[in-house]
Amino acid sequence: MKKNLRLSLVPYLFLIPYLFAFIAFRFGPSIAGFFVSLTKWNIIGTPKFIGFENYSELFSDPSFITSLVNTLYFMALTVPALIVLGLLIALLVDQDLKGRTATRTFVFMPYVIMSTVVGVIWMWIFDTHFGILNYYLSFLGIKPIAWLSSVNWAMPAVAITTIWWTVGFNMILFLAGLQDIPEELKEAARIDGASNWQIFWNVTFPLLRPTTVVVLMLTLINSFEVFDQVYVMTGGGPSMATLTVIQYMYFQAFQYFRLGYGSAVAYVVFAFLIILVLVERQLLKKVGEA
Amino acid sequence: MKFKSGVLMVLGLLVIGVLVMASPIELTFWGGWTGPDGDVMRGLVDEYNSTHPDVHITFTTMQWTPLFTKFMTSAAVGNPPDILGMHGPDIPQFAALNLLSPLGKVVENAGFTATQFATAAWNGTFYNGVQYAFPLDLHMNAIFYNKALFEKAGITPPTGWVSGQQFLNIAIKLTLDKNGKNPNDPGFDPNNIVQYGFGLYSLNWHAFLQWYELLAQQGYGFLNSQNTKVDYPTEAGLKAWQWLQNLVFKYHVSPVGATNPLNDFLIGKTAMLEDGPWEIPACQAQKGLEWGTFPIPQVFGKKAVWGSGHVLTIPVQSNKVKMQAAENFVIWLIKNSSKWALSGNIPALNTAREYAYSLPGRTGFLESAPYEVMLPRIPMEAEVFSAASVSPIVVAGQDIMVRDQDILPVMEWMNSQIDQILSR
Repeated sequence: MKKNLRLSLVPYLFLIPYLFAFIAFRFGPSIAGFFVSLTKWNIIGTPKFIGFENYSELFSDPSFITSLVNTLYFMALTVPALIVLGLLIALLVDQDLKGRTATRTFVFMPYVIMSTVVGVIWMWIFDTHFGILNYYLSFLGIKPIAWLSSVNWAMPAVAITTIWWTVGFNMILFLAGLQDIPEELKEAARIDGASNWQIFWNVTFPLLRPTTVVVLMLTLINSFEVFDQVYVMTGGGPSMATLTVIQYMYFQAFQYFRLGYGSAVAYVVFAFLIILVLVERQLLKKVGEA
Repeated sequence: MKFKSGVLMVLGLLVIGVLVMASPIELTFWGGWTGPDGDVMRGLVDEYNSTHPDVHITFTTMQWTPLFTKFMTSAAVGNPPDILGMHGPDIPQFAALNLLSPLGKVVENAGFTATQFATAAWNGTFYNGVQYAFPLDLHMNAIFYNKALFEKAGITPPTGWVSGQQFLNIAIKLTLDKNGKNPNDPGFDPNNIVQYGFGLYSLNWHAFLQWYELLAQQGYGFLNSQNTKVDYPTEAGLKAWQWLQNLVFKYHVSPVGATNPLNDFLIGKTAMLEDGPWEIPACQAQKGLEWGTFPIPQVFGKKAVWGSGHVLTIPVQSNKVKMQAAENFVIWLIKNSSKWALSGNIPALNTAREYAYSLPGRTGFLESAPYEVMLPRIPMEAEVFSAASVSPIVVAGQDIMVRDQDILPVMEWMNSQIDQILSR
C-alpha cells in the first residue's frame, strides 16, 4: 500500500519544479494582473482601486476597438491559409517523391529565423520604391504597391510574411499526423477501388482530426497574439491599420505606464481566447459527429 | 586555544576588511545608445574605469523605451541604476514621480554655469525650476546630402540656412523619373521616379517633429504656457502641414510613405535626407558615399529646428557613497565630452563642442544648434509625444503625409486627442 502511494506520488514530484515556475511566473502574475486591472497604477507608488472603470473605458476606446478588429482581420487572413497550405505541403512532402527531404527543410527553414529578422527581411522585400517584390511585379505591368505604408496593403503584407514564416511549423505537425496513419487503411481503401480524393476525404482526413484540432488551436492562439512582425514591420501603422490587441496592451502598459488599463486589455484578450477555443472545440465536435 | 582562535578571527576580519576596502565601488550606468554611439560611450566608460581604480562602472545599453520600462520597475523595487541617461524632455515624467535626484547644487559645486553650455541643452535639464541633470549633448534635425548627386545635377550644396523656395528648387532638380525628367519638366512621370530629391520621415513620429519645427519657425509652440492644452493658431498649423504634404503629393520630390528613408539615402536613391546626427556613423560607414550636412530650410519667418539633448541623471537611492561616486563620474564625463562628438551628437559643453567643428559633416548641426527648439517638458511626455503607432501625433502625420488626407480635420482630431490625454 505504502509502496503504491510512493509510486503514485513520483510523477507529482517530477512536476514540482515546473509547477513552482508556473505558479511564480504565470499563474501568480495572472491572478495579480486581474487585481491590477481594477486599479490605476503606474508601477511607482500605491495602486488606486477604481473598480471596473478600466474595462468600461476600454469598450468605448476607439483605438482598442480598432486593434480588436485588426486582429480578427489578421486571423481571417492567416488562419485558413496556414491550415490549408500547411496541410497541402504536408501531403506533398509525404509522397514518395524526389527531393522531398529538401522541400521539407526549405519549407520549415524560415520558422527557425528570429521574428525580428524575418520582419527586417520582408521590409526590404516590400519596400515600395526599391523593393524586389515591386520590381518583379513591374514586369507584369503592375504599378508600385505601397505594401507597408498603405492602409489597405499593410495588413495583407504582414499576413504574407507570417504565412511564409510559420507555415513550416504547421506542415511538420500535419506530416507527423500523416505518418501516424497506418498505410494498410489506405491500401484497403485502394483495393476497394477508392480514388485518391476518396482516400483523402474518407480515410486520411478523419484520422488527421486530432492533429487538425491541435494545429487549429495553436494557429488561432498564435494569430490572436500576433506582435513581433507587426512591431518590426509597421509598428502598428499606417494610421493604426495594423495595430493589434497585444501591441495595444504593450503600448498602454509598458510605454504609457498605465498598468491597470494594460492589464484590463490582457484580461479581455484572455476572455476572447477562451471563447475562441470553446467555439472551435464545439465546431470540431459537430464536424466529428457528422 | 581561545587566544589562538581570537587571533585567527581578528586576522580574518582584517583580511576581509582590506579586501572590501580594496575592491572598487560598483556603479551601474544605463543609456539608450544602441548604435555606434553606444561604442563611443563604452569607450569613455572604459577610460574612466582604467583611470579610476577605486570605481568600476558597468555600462548597459538598450533602446530607450524598454530602458525606461526597466528603470521604472527597478526603481519601484528600490534598485535603480546609479546613473541614467535620457533626453531633456524625458525628465518631467520621472522627476514628477520623485525618481531623480535634484542636482542643482552638484552642478554648481562642480563649477558649471549656464554660460558654459548651449542654451537649449542647459534649459533642458530643468523641470519646475529644479535642475535634475547634467547636459551632455544636443541633437537636432539637419539635411544630409549626397555630394555626388549634387555634383551630377550641377548644384553647389548650401553651407547655411536656405529659404523654403531655394530648398524646393534644389529638391526638384534632384528628382528624376526614368526618362531623366524633373517634376517641373513636361511629361514628367510621377509613377516612375528613380531618384528622389528629398527623403523625409512620414511613417513615424518624426513627421510630427518636422511639423513642430515649422510651427516654431512661425513663432508658435504646441501647448499653452501651462502645458495643459493644445494652443497654436490653426492657420500656422495648416501652413506647416501643407508645406510637408506638398513635398510629397504636389511636387513629388519626396516618396510617399518611405519605410526606410535612411537606407534610401545611403544607397543613393534619395539625394537629401532630413534626419539627426545619430545617423552620422551610418553615413561614415557607407562605402562610396560622400556626404555633408546643412540646416533644414527656413520655410517661414524665423530660424528654428526641432532638437533634443541627452542628459545624465542620478536616480534617487539610499547609498550616499554610490551617489557621490556617480556624481564624480558624471562630472568627469561632461568635462571629457569632446570625444562624445565622435558619436555624432553635438556636445553641450562649449569647450567640448569646439572639437566637433573639426569633424566632417557637422556643419549643418553646428549651424542649427542656436536655433534648436525642444518639445514641451511635461510629465505626460511618454503618452503625448509618443512614437507608438497609436499615438495621435503619429496617426496625424501618417494621415496627412502618407494618405494625403484633408489637413484641417486631421489636425483638429490630433488636437482633441492630445487635449484628452492632457486632461487625464
